[in-house]
Order: sequence, then C-alpha cells, then structure tokens
Amino acid sequence: MVYPHTLRIINMPAVLLVHGGAWAIPEELAKASVDGVKSAACEGFSVLRRGGSALDAVEAAVRALEDNPDFNAGHGATLNIDGEVELDAIIMDGRTLACGAVSSVKNIANPVSLARAVMEKTSHVMLTGRGGNLFAESIGVGSVPSDSLVSDHERTEWSKMDNYDAEVLTDFNSKWAHDTVGAVAVDSAGNVACATSTGGIRNKMVGRVGDSPIVGCGGYADNSSGAVSCTGHGESILKVTLARLILSHIEQGKSVADASQLSLQHMSDRVHGAGGAVVVSPSGQWAATFTTKRMAWAAVEQDVLWFGLDPNERLKEKLSQ
Amino acid sequence: MLPVVVVHGGAGHVPKERSEKATMGVSSAARSGYLVLQGGGSSMDAVVAAVSQLENNPLFNAGCGSVLNVKGEVEMDALVMDGKTLCSGAVSAVRNIANPVELARMVMDKTSHACLTAEGASMFARSMGVPEVPHESLVTEYSRMRWRKNLEPGADPVACQMGKMGTVGAVAVDVEGNVACATSTGGMMNKMEGRVGDTPCIGSGGYADNHSGAVSTTGHGETIMKVTLARLILFYMEQGHSVEAASDMGLAYMKSRVDGLGGVVTVDPQGNWAARFSSLQMAWAAAQKDMLHYGLYVGEHWSQNIQEPHSPHHADI
Repeated sequence: MVYPHTLRIINMPAVLLVHGGAWAIPEELAKASVDGVKSAACEGFSVLRRGGSALDAVEAAVRALEDNPDFNAGHGATLNIDGEVELDAIIMDGRTLACGAVSSVKNIANPVSLARAVMEKTSHVMLTGRGGNLFAESIGVGSVPSDSLVSDHERTEWSKMDNYDAEVLTDFNSKWAHDTVGAVAVDSAGNVACATSTGGIRNKMVGRVGDSPIVGCGGYADNSSGAVSCTGHGESILKVTLARLILSHIEQGKSVADASQLSLQHMSDRVHGAGGAVVVSPSGQWAATFTTKRMAWAAVEQDVLWFGLDPNERLKEKLSQ
Repeated sequence: MLPVVVVHGGAGHVPKERSEKATMGVSSAARSGYLVLQGGGSSMDAVVAAVSQLENNPLFNAGCGSVLNVKGEVEMDALVMDGKTLCSGAVSAVRNIANPVELARMVMDKTSHACLTAEGASMFARSMGVPEVPHESLVTEYSRMRWRKNLEPGADPVACQMGKMGTVGAVAVDVEGNVACATSTGGMMNKMEGRVGDTPCIGSGGYADNHSGAVSTTGHGETIMKVTLARLILFYMEQGHSVEAASDMGLAYMKSRVDGLGGVVTVDPQGNWAARFSSLQMAWAAAQKDMLHYGLYVGEHWSQNIQEPHSPHHADI
C-alpha cells in the first residue's frame, strides 16, 4: 500500500500552530497567555525555517511553553491533592505513527522531551510514574526540585482548593486555572507532528492521568490526514478520543475547521465537555477551535503570525525575516 | 440476538500443551459473563465478571499469571468502558492487586477521573478497601521461567511474546442494548518498569459506544496504540461496515501501516459479534442464544449448547 507521504511534493509551505490551554482565562492572565503562545509559535517556526522537521518544531514550541511559568506544564504546573507536581506529555510523528508519552512523572522540567526520548530510545510508547523517572535518570535527564516547577501563584491557588469537583466546575466555567499546552506542525516535506504537555487539573488525585498522554486523545498525527493537539476537560476528551475523532472527520473529506467544529460540538452534546484543539493538515490547512470561553493560540505561516484568545478573534502580525 | 458476550484470551501463538486449557478458560469466562446477562445484569457487570475470571486463571497474562517486567515484578494495566455514557475507568502499572479490572471499574464509578497510575492507583485501592495481595500470589512458575529466559543475551521478548499468550478482554451487549468492554493485562514480557501498553488507553485497548459497538483488543501493544485499533474499528462500523468487516479492516490496516499483529473481539448494539485476529491464534469464546461458540486457530469455530460441558477438540489432552 502506498501512503500519501511517499508521493508528496517537497518544499510545501511549513506551518506551526500552538495553544496554551482552553479555559476561562481571566483578564489578568490574558496578555501573558497571548504573549506566551506567540513567542512559542515563533520559536517552533524558527526550527521549520532552518529546515528542521515538524517533530523538532513541535518539541521546541512545547518546551518554550513548559519553560514559561504562565502555563500549566513543566514550570508553572498545577499541584495534585498532596501538593505535588505530576506531569503528562505526548509526542507523535505522523510519518511513521511512532509516538512517545510519559504520565505522572515528577521533577522533570521538560516532559515533552522525555516523551520524545521514550519514542526514540525505548521499544515502548509510554512510561509512567517512577518508571518514567528512572528512565529519565538512565539517559541523563536531570531531575529538578519540585519547588522550581511551582509558581507562587499556583501554591496560593492550591491552598484555597479543597476538592477536585469544585475545581472542575470553577476551572472550566469561570476562572483561575491553567491548562494543557500543545503544538502541531507540518514541515516543508509534508510531514506532520503533534506534542501536548500538562500538569493536569489542580488538586487531582495522586496518579491521575488525563487525556494528554493518551494517543488519540491528547494528540494524534498521521501524514495521511493531519495532526491535532487537544486541551480542555481531560475526562471528556478521553470519552470521545477527541484528536482521533477530528482526524476521522478529515479522512471523510471534511475541512480542518469543520472537522474540529463537528468534533467539539459532539463532545459538548454527548458528554457535556468543553475544550479546544489546534489542527494542521499535510497540505498546510490549519484551524484553532474551542468551545470554552477562551483559548490562547498562535500560528505561523510563511512570514505571518496569527493569534487569538476570544472566540472568532483572529489577529495578524507580519514577521520580520 | 441479545444478550451476548464475547471474550478473548490473547492473540499470539498458544503452545500446544496449553491450547485446550486456553479454550476451556475463555469458554468458562464467556459462560460466567452470559450468566450475569441472563440474570438481568448489565453489559458492564458481564464484561467485568468475565475478565475477572480470566485474571484469576493463572494460564492468562492478566492478574495471576501476568508476565514479569525486567526487574521480575508484576505491573498490570486494565480498562473498562460503558457505551451508554462513554464513561471509562483505567489503571496502569498497578501492583499487588488480584483483579485490576475491578479496580478500573472503581476508578470509573467512584472518582471523577478516568485513569489512575502506579502508586496513585495503589493508594486509591487501599482507600477503597481493596485487599493488597502478595507479589508471589500473582507470579507463576511459567512466567518466572520465561522472564529468566528473556534475560539471556540475544533473547527477543517481543518475538517471544507474540509466540505466547497475551492480554484478556471481553465485550458484551445486554438486553437493553447497552454495550461495554473490558481489557486487562500484565503487559509485555521483560518490559521496562512503568511501561504502559495499549490496554488501559481508551481507544487502543478498548472502546465502547452504544451508537456503534464495543471492541477489546490484544496483540503488540505499541502498534495497537499507533493506530488506536479499537476506535479505528468503530469508525469503520460508523461508516456502515459489519462487525466482521470492520475488525478485519482495522487489523489489516495495522499490519500494512505499522507491521503489527493482533486480535479483537467486537460487538454491535444489535448483538452481531466477531472474534478476528491476524496473529497465528487467539483463544476466544462467545455466548448467545444459549449457545457457546469458541475457537483458537484461524477459521476454527466450534458450537455447543451452553449447558453442555466443554468438549475437548485439541489433541493435547
């Protein structure tokens, strides 16, 4: 069987798209969120511009967001019920369908890079908990002190919460939470990739794994249809395998925008879940879609930076070469 | 057509001396699932009953009889999913639990989460009063022997695994037309500590949706994940393909795209069912309309009244 990537003409326009989480982002975090996704998108795109692969680009973009304390991944992650940081991440290569993931790893500054190491240096797809940390140690990925990952803001917010259910309600309907970050890209060879990273939901139970590290839920990438990174209420995303659902609509001939809309609408109708997704097709079509109040997103296509936060907002800036 | 339950005992190559016991094991698990359904139980109750029984059977790679990781330890994964609500529960890399599938169901029923992993899953089990069992009670002589063999230089645990028994699982439809799936495993022989395979990952190890059907998968976990096999088969069914055609299409795609072998049991809400595999063998059994169906080799399909005792067909006993 011949797959489209083997036939693709090279030197297509590269595109990179990031999100910083879909939720009711409060006004006081609005600017930091938009600035953060814009700078991460530029960082990821610079990899593509230098001729790097989609996989390298999504990893670079997500690392930038993990390193930014304004987002809930890596530095800035939320705390679980015991006041600890447990991180989940996934990365997937649309050319080979190879993927790597870590769940519930502690004290890792860049879980997305550890996920990539799982993909490239083991025969497995996913490592969890202590096993994930032992692997990190074995390949020389240093662990960082928990305190270095936790922002003062998060420590204060965590101490206010006393149960998870209250948190889910306030997070996704009103205010004060951070969420997952992610990126998708298509490179000039037409290869797609996705990456997603998160600290999960504040006050989650110890060992809670959300949608982010689950293939087909937090992300999926396939050169024959496209790449998706998801965000929102993890348990709802899992129920509908959101990333895979969006791509199945694209396989059926829908546009990236329609496929995203249909799938998020289905998630809302069927399991009353809100969320968002960034999607890119192998031909460079892209969409950033959400059913939450807001989602910070940014995209770079040729020399234009697109970004937005509120529904239907689509701003543009010309990048200097 | 309703109710119906279909179980599998793993795709791979079943050694001859174990083949009769394997078909007996899956037949007996299908019987217990069917009893639950006949008694008015839900499809969820039925798949959990069937899979618990396979976990308790030391012949299968789940619960007692699980394969060992590289350190000689048992770490297990399990998933359940309810097709009516799309609610699911999973545990990954959990230790010292006799029935991970029951713990996965508790994650679904008693928490607001869908998956708990490793030590967090154990803490949850303790909080639910689930007894902790000694590690030795999950380990068989057979699994220890295979672990030792795979530590030898030049051993290939993946090839060896595909030559033996895999994951267990079940799908069912109850009289109300609700579908459910359950899957449980000890994972891959000599795996790294903390390795999570396809089994607890929704869409890969299993998926259930009243609008289309339910699937439980087995085979090479890493390739099943690459194609999200369970969800893929249900996409084909949503597009109008039969349970059998959709299962074959999913398995064929996995073979051609990522060179992976496996097996599945599939039902649709009307009670049509299929047990299909691309591996050499898969022990499977189904119970419907008071008949028990089972098989092990490609093309093999035995049927008998469910009341009759299991009749041996394989030459090893």
